[in-house]
Amino acid sequence: MATNSIHSLPHRHRHRHSSPNYHLNPPPSTAGFLKPVTATLKTSLSSSSTTVTTYSLSPTSPSSSSSTTTAAAAAAAAASTSEPATALDALRNHLSSKDYRQADEETRRLLIVLAGEAAVKRGYVFFSEVQFISESDLKAIDCLWREHSGGKFGYSVQKKIWEKANKDFTTFFIKVGWMKKLDTEVEQYNYRAFPTEFTWELTDETPEGHLPLTNALRGTRLLNSILNHPAFKDTDEVVAEEEEDSDNSSKSRDSGSKPLSNRLFKPNYSF
Amino acid sequence: MASLLSSPFTLPASKADQLSSISQKHYFLHSFLPRRARVQSPAKSPVSVRCAVVGNGLFTQTTPEVRRIVPDGDRNLPTVKIVYVVLEAQYQSSLSEAVLALNKNRRYASFEVVGYLVEELRDENTYKTFCKDLEDANIFIGSLIFVEELALKVKAAVEKERDRLDAVLVFPSMPEVMRLNKLGSFSMSQLGQSKSPFFQLFKKKKSSAGFADSMLKLVRTLPKVLKYLPSDKAQDARLYILSLQFWLGGSPDNLQNFLKMISGSYVPVLKGTKVEYSDPVLFLDSGIWHPLAPCMYDDVKEYLNWYGARKDANEKLKGPDAPIIGLVLQRSHIVTGDDSHYVAVIMELEARGAKVIPIFAGGLDFSGPVEKFLIDPVTKKPMINSVISLTGFALVGGPARQDHPRAVEALMKLDVPYLVALPLVFQTTEEWLNSTLGLHPIQVALQVALPELDGGMEPIVFAGRDPRTGKSHALHKRVEQLCTRAIRWAELKRKSKVEKRLAITVFSFPPDKGNVGTAAYLNVFASIFSVLKDLQRDGYHVEGLPEKAEDLIEDVLHDKEAQFSSPNLNVVYKMGIREYQKLTPYAMALEENWGKPPGNLNSDGENLLVYGKQYGNIFIGVQPTFGYEGDPMRLLFSKSASPHHGFAAYYSFVEKIFKADAVLHFGTHGSLEFMPGKQVGMSDVCYPDSLIGNIPNVYYYAANNPSEATIAKRRSYANTISYLTPPAENAGLYKGLKQLSELISSYQSLKDTGRGPQIVSSIISTARQCNLDKDVELPEEGEEISAKERDLVVGKVYSKIMEIESRLLPCGLHVIGEPPSAMEAVATLVNIAALDRPEDGISSLPSILAETVGRKIEDVYRGSDKGILKDVELLRQITEASRGAISAFVERTINKKGQVVDVADKLTSILGFGINEPWIQYMSDTKFYRADREKLRVLFEFLGECLKLVVADNELGSLKQALAGKYVEPGPGGDPIRNPKVLPTGKNIHALDPQAIPTTAAMQSAKIVVDRLIERQKADNGGKYPETVALVLWGTDNIKTYGESLAQVLWMIGVRPVADTFGRVNRVEPVSLEELGRPRIDVVVNCSGVFRDLFINQMNLLDRAVKMVAELDEPEDQNYVRKHALEQAKALGIEVREAATRVFSNASGSYSSNINLAVENSSWNDEKQLQDMYLSRKSFAFDSDAPGAGMTEKRKVFEMALSSADATFQNLDSSEISLTDVSHYFDSDPTNLVQNLRKDGKKPSAYIADTTTANAQVRTLSETVRLDARTKLLNPKWYEGMMSSGYEGVREIEKRLTNTVGWSATSGQVDNWVYEEANSTFIQDEEMLNRLMNKNPNSFRKLVQTFLEANGRGYWETSEQNIEKLRQLYSEVEDKIEGIDR
Repeated sequence: MATNSIHSLPHRHRHRHSSPNYHLNPPPSTAGFLKPVTATLKTSLSSSSTTVTTYSLSPTSPSSSSSTTTAAAAAAAAASTSEPATALDALRNHLSSKDYRQADEETRRLLIVLAGEAAVKRGYVFFSEVQFISESDLKAIDCLWREHSGGKFGYSVQKKIWEKANKDFTTFFIKVGWMKKLDTEVEQYNYRAFPTEFTWELTDETPEGHLPLTNALRGTRLLNSILNHPAFKDTDEVVAEEEEDSDNSSKSRDSGSKPLSNRLFKPNYSF
Repeated sequence: MASLLSSPFTLPASKADQLSSISQKHYFLHSFLPRRARVQSPAKSPVSVRCAVVGNGLFTQTTPEVRRIVPDGDRNLPTVKIVYVVLEAQYQSSLSEAVLALNKNRRYASFEVVGYLVEELRDENTYKTFCKDLEDANIFIGSLIFVEELALKVKAAVEKERDRLDAVLVFPSMPEVMRLNKLGSFSMSQLGQSKSPFFQLFKKKKSSAGFADSMLKLVRTLPKVLKYLPSDKAQDARLYILSLQFWLGGSPDNLQNFLKMISGSYVPVLKGTKVEYSDPVLFLDSGIWHPLAPCMYDDVKEYLNWYGARKDANEKLKGPDAPIIGLVLQRSHIVTGDDSHYVAVIMELEARGAKVIPIFAGGLDFSGPVEKFLIDPVTKKPMINSVISLTGFALVGGPARQDHPRAVEALMKLDVPYLVALPLVFQTTEEWLNSTLGLHPIQVALQVALPELDGGMEPIVFAGRDPRTGKSHALHKRVEQLCTRAIRWAELKRKSKVEKRLAITVFSFPPDKGNVGTAAYLNVFASIFSVLKDLQRDGYHVEGLPEKAEDLIEDVLHDKEAQFSSPNLNVVYKMGIREYQKLTPYAMALEENWGKPPGNLNSDGENLLVYGKQYGNIFIGVQPTFGYEGDPMRLLFSKSASPHHGFAAYYSFVEKIFKADAVLHFGTHGSLEFMPGKQVGMSDVCYPDSLIGNIPNVYYYAANNPSEATIAKRRSYANTISYLTPPAENAGLYKGLKQLSELISSYQSLKDTGRGPQIVSSIISTARQCNLDKDVELPEEGEEISAKERDLVVGKVYSKIMEIESRLLPCGLHVIGEPPSAMEAVATLVNIAALDRPEDGISSLPSILAETVGRKIEDVYRGSDKGILKDVELLRQITEASRGAISAFVERTINKKGQVVDVADKLTSILGFGINEPWIQYMSDTKFYRADREKLRVLFEFLGECLKLVVADNELGSLKQALAGKYVEPGPGGDPIRNPKVLPTGKNIHALDPQAIPTTAAMQSAKIVVDRLIERQKADNGGKYPETVALVLWGTDNIKTYGESLAQVLWMIGVRPVADTFGRVNRVEPVSLEELGRPRIDVVVNCSGVFRDLFINQMNLLDRAVKMVAELDEPEDQNYVRKHALEQAKALGIEVREAATRVFSNASGSYSSNINLAVENSSWNDEKQLQDMYLSRKSFAFDSDAPGAGMTEKRKVFEMALSSADATFQNLDSSEISLTDVSHYFDSDPTNLVQNLRKDGKKPSAYIADTTTANAQVRTLSETVRLDARTKLLNPKWYEGMMSSGYEGVREIEKRLTNTVGWSATSGQVDNWVYEEANSTFIQDEEMLNRLMNKNPNSFRKLVQTFLEANGRGYWETSEQNIEKLRQLYSEVEDKIEGIDR
């Protein structure tokens, strides 16, 4: 299992939708987890051990180890060195040009890439992989969002709303406008259709915390892990660090010594 | 998830709109129906308003257009057009991706594709598009088409184009559709006839799920075989097999190669081109899958090794203390990549600290994989603590042919709680949310009713479906609910007995202190006492248990003589408002109906009160009631009101303060499962689901009530455990009736002496005293009658007496864990023996005996019914001999303690030589000494088995199993006499496959009853046929009889059911008028709410039948359905088809007409009010033309249809429930209502069919009420039996009188003498009166009140003296209860 840090990611080109009128899901990666019968029998034993590869800001990366503590250490190192993040350029660009739609896509892409290679192959993040994402990376993303939305968007914004909602996701989804009220006599809500029913502009009407979107196709555990990530333990700290990160963006262009797989995936976030 | 495109339900509402709808708090009537569109400016809503309400009226509004891919038209490439129809929406995205990829490559050809989901073909326009699409298609693909109606549509459409199509590929489906297969020379048109092994698969009727499995086996082996066949011959067959492999391999890659292969080989324009394709990538047929795992596993140990090495998982999850949940998944979801909902469940479970073992299988038989992967091969112990099937299907057989015994066998081995959750298949998320029915009826039949037969619990809808991509997605709250509940069940398996906390919940109907602990046939407190004793012995922590059951009552009621509503009932917890709101997330929603908490129910004005008492880790609590029983306005208007705050507080307490590991609902039945919500497939806002929260629910339920037990299973997730109804005894004779019987016997011996006439006149006068003159035509006193007439009069009285005498009545109340003694079971066995069971080669005892004297039992029955003295006497002798022979037999099978010893052993020794057989010995002294020994032997062997089952006791055992987190063996509910498989009790009760009824046998019996009914009505009504009969369909009744009353309706209107290849009934056809030999009789069908929930498909079938008959081109005097429908259509200005609406019930999520509640609580002013209630609550119709609209109010048609009724009719199906036993029967009786609605104001005849005995009868309602009063209320044997149960017994007596008043109110068919006799039995008898008053003063007060009410409402005329005494008694007992006079 490999996880990446933003700062080690190569710059990614503008994400484009695969087909204008047809929206598809990533195929199950046949090579990843669906082996041909014969292969399964042979590989199943050997495959039972995995290593965690983490990438961080530090020029000495990648560091390979088998424990999550190293990941945390790397993350800590990342925070301290506060190296710039090329990988965030795309996100920053989208955000500064108010292209929230693309920024949203890019955020999810980053999340997947940061969660590690397995997540990239799979096309989505399993909730337990969130721990491999470094605090600084998540904070950096969050800061960008808040910065370019007047404090309206971002994970830390969502976290506050979520806590206010007693960590009840339905209430939260309704608050941030991810669910819509149905026209039935009993008060009921359904998920909004992605992307048409979401708001991609920042107006007074746009609900606080509306973006970035973490879809509930696979339940709420991923979002739960993100909101519970140490990065958002104390939202005040995040505010403090946000400037740092966004300022030093240019240096890390060459920091990732090993180019990471930047597979094209077409996630379906029909939330 | 629904996009706006495909869902006309949701108009984009502006902010202001949303706010206004939130602020509309006046919605007292509370349903899930999409609200009628408000007046909106046309500019804002371009979608027509009519559409916005029900769309096309069908269950799904999705269209295939979202699945259509049209290539951008590369001029140089030929186009291949593919049309597919599938059940599994998961293929949609995979296929689309495959086609997009092919088109991107731009080699060989461009592909055009359009897909249909089977359910969409119901829509006429969609079907037209489908046919049109087929016209220029090259390839057709179909899969899992098992719904007959739709299968026929597919067949019709494809058949037309089959010859022209280049290839037709149909994967497992109904044979009709499979026969369409065509691949070059390969064809399946011979399916079912050919001898080849391939076709033999489809012929094996018995081998259940074998079909799909052998198909798979074939897929695995055939390619090898085919290699050795001459290639050209085998090529087409080989390609078919390859196709199947590609299809089952389902990934976009596989499907891409599949399309390449088929088009390259069969599309003519591509014949010259060599289209390369790879072989199918095969996945494991079954195995273990985890989204994080590098591969699928075929070995659970390997999987666990990987699991243990997971870096992302914490130590706790990997540790030995984590609960382990097994998951059963469908392979097609995994291979097609449509697995989001599976991943959601896995994540939720792991996040909650539970380890998962997710297994999958591709075939339809999961029993093998379950045993292979979830049971430790060495220890034979389960590797998991509970298991959830996420497939929704029965464990063996999927949508095809199920094999429940095999499933049960595997699950018994696994022995853990077995939950079956389901994803939406036929509906999109929004359609389900909008639907009042909830889950699509076909899905209910396939994925709720069938898994129940395997013992599956908790049909929670955990995944929705996106209308555009067709993909499944998690419903986050549902997933949480499912996972927490699965873990809670798993905890039961892991926790020690001493730490387990159990909340026993008793009911109180109607809300009165005298009623605490009501449950049909059950002595609740004695049963709880015996359960607690047993649990204590077993190691549960039970503390402070009193010595006797009586003291337990005293403990809980605290002050037995205090008002229920006073806080004198023992308060176990006072819940402050803040606390209540914090613990009850849905508390706000209740305010709409009940205002701010605490309200005045279960409240002291400041706190909410929880009544009950705690004994160590056991809590006995009193479930609050609906709360609106005493409120006539609510009874009249509420379609469904929410639970009140006290109700919610009770369950919040149980779950969050008492922290119960399980709740045990004690006895039939409470109100939780009848709270508003969808019928089946609860959503987040359905009250039964919110209330039960995440507590495992175990529910003791009467074995004879499978229908309501099923509601409890589906709506409140109960693991139902059946209990026996008390042993039945013959009613016997008493007082005047006994004298009559003596007189008759002396008449028989002395009739030819001069004393004959004298005895006859005493018989006549005694019969008069006994009020038999209403039942038998008696000559005037002193009138001279001939000897022959004398015989006939005596014969008729005799026959009536015998009818009363041999009636079965349950004596006393059942106590859990106390099975009847063998001798107590004799009456039950006599009745079991009275039925012919041709399917098992068993003749009934009466028919064997009748044969001995050269008669046919049917003729004897008929003669006896007519009052032919000789036949009445013969029947009496037969009955007596039956009882004698069976008693003689039972005596021999028991030991000195009265316990049944091994019957099998006994039988072998008994069955030695003819003369030793006890029944032969007995009969050697009777006129039946020459009875057929072989037939008797077969019969008695069967009776021996039944006896063993009757006295077996597994009620406590099963409870302990459920509490220990084990699997409780499922079993049918019903009438043990008809279906001894109901025994032994202590099983997880289930109903039946709703599509299996009516059976042919049921149709047969129905004809007899209908013919007798018509005969009777003609006889009473000047030879005229009834034009309309208003009747009632009950859920339980139809389960017990396999649809007899359903079949009666069909036969009245003259149609017959047609079963499909799988024996499922989804179609009807008209019977010709010639064959029918009479006019088609119109019907007004009132379905009980329970019937509606269980048999919505059958309601659909009935509605189609009625509409079909109304549209037949037949003369009006031969087709009353048509006659009336035409009249109604004209009067109402609607189409005939719409006017032909005859199938009514309550609104979804609401039950009963509430007349029962009004009567029980005396909260009604006049009969008119009751009738209004009936009309307002029962006028919801099911429309087969718009089934998705759910139940729609059609009051006008309902009234018009009822106004033409000449007769009303109900069925009695089993001896233990008769008219006055329960309040349901009068609750649904429309007799007086019809009289009011009829233009001529004539009272319709009211009939009751009685099929409880072998000799089915149609009696008038008043005859039946009299019979019931004589055999029960007024019968010392019955009321003494009740009195011996003490507290509960008094209540039973009072309830029966109240139900009798109910009959007066709805039908006016109760004779004055019934009340008069009751009064002399219970009130004038001082000793009786005192006993009643002392045992249960609250119920006694109600009894007195009911007498006064009967008089006050004009149903009982009596002396002023009687009334004065009652008034006096009332104030006396009132004082006593209020403690004034103590």
